[in-house]
Amino acid sequence: MRKMIYMIFVILSAVILFYSPAMSFAGQYDLKEMTSEVQAALDNRRDRFEELRQFKSQGIIGENNRGYVEVLVNDKGAEGLVDAENRDRGVVYTTVEKQNNLTNALETIEKVFAQVQREKAQSGDKIQTEDGQWVTK
Amino acid sequence: MENKQETWPMLLVCVALLCGCTVKAVGDPNRPITIQAHITIDVKGLKDTASDIEDYVSGEKPKENLQSK
Repeated sequence: MRKMIYMIFVILSAVILFYSPAMSFAGQYDLKEMTSEVQAALDNRRDRFEELRQFKSQGIIGENNRGYVEVLVNDKGAEGLVDAENRDRGVVYTTVEKQNNLTNALETIEKVFAQVQREKAQSGDKIQTEDGQWVTK
Repeated sequence: MENKQETWPMLLVCVALLCGCTVKAVGDPNRPITIQAHITIDVKGLKDTASDIEDYVSGEKPKENLQSK
């Protein structure tokens, strides 16, 4: 009996030690509410995705390390597209921040999105690494 | 007799630990409603969300993946 209680005590202690940090950090961030503003931003981004893709494959537009797109070669058409895309990305980022109560976390959110963009970039795309260097993937 | 005396404190500790785990998992119903300024961001969770959003934008995933399940 004494041995069994001792075993339970040890197992419980181990469980608490291993899972306490996980319990504290558990959390899934997502778009809690699809507001008309964020829906419009996402729809716009979907609509311009292919056009943006073409500019990226030509090396005219690249993904910077702050979660936004940048014009790397002078091109009037690309500039308008980049401005609109960045405006919509900003809406998505601030919505994720607000709806998940992540106060003052915009910079972190932008950097995480930038990391995802780098990972999803296709071979030949221009991407800016975390240390600021522009490289071709 | 001696055995029993040693067992009781351990049993009490086990019960206390179990109560602690329950409060940790479920939450103390009498806790004061305060918001702490210090927020730790789960970057992995955020990255999953970002990935879902970008997959939706590229047309790889449906809209259902974006919102709370």
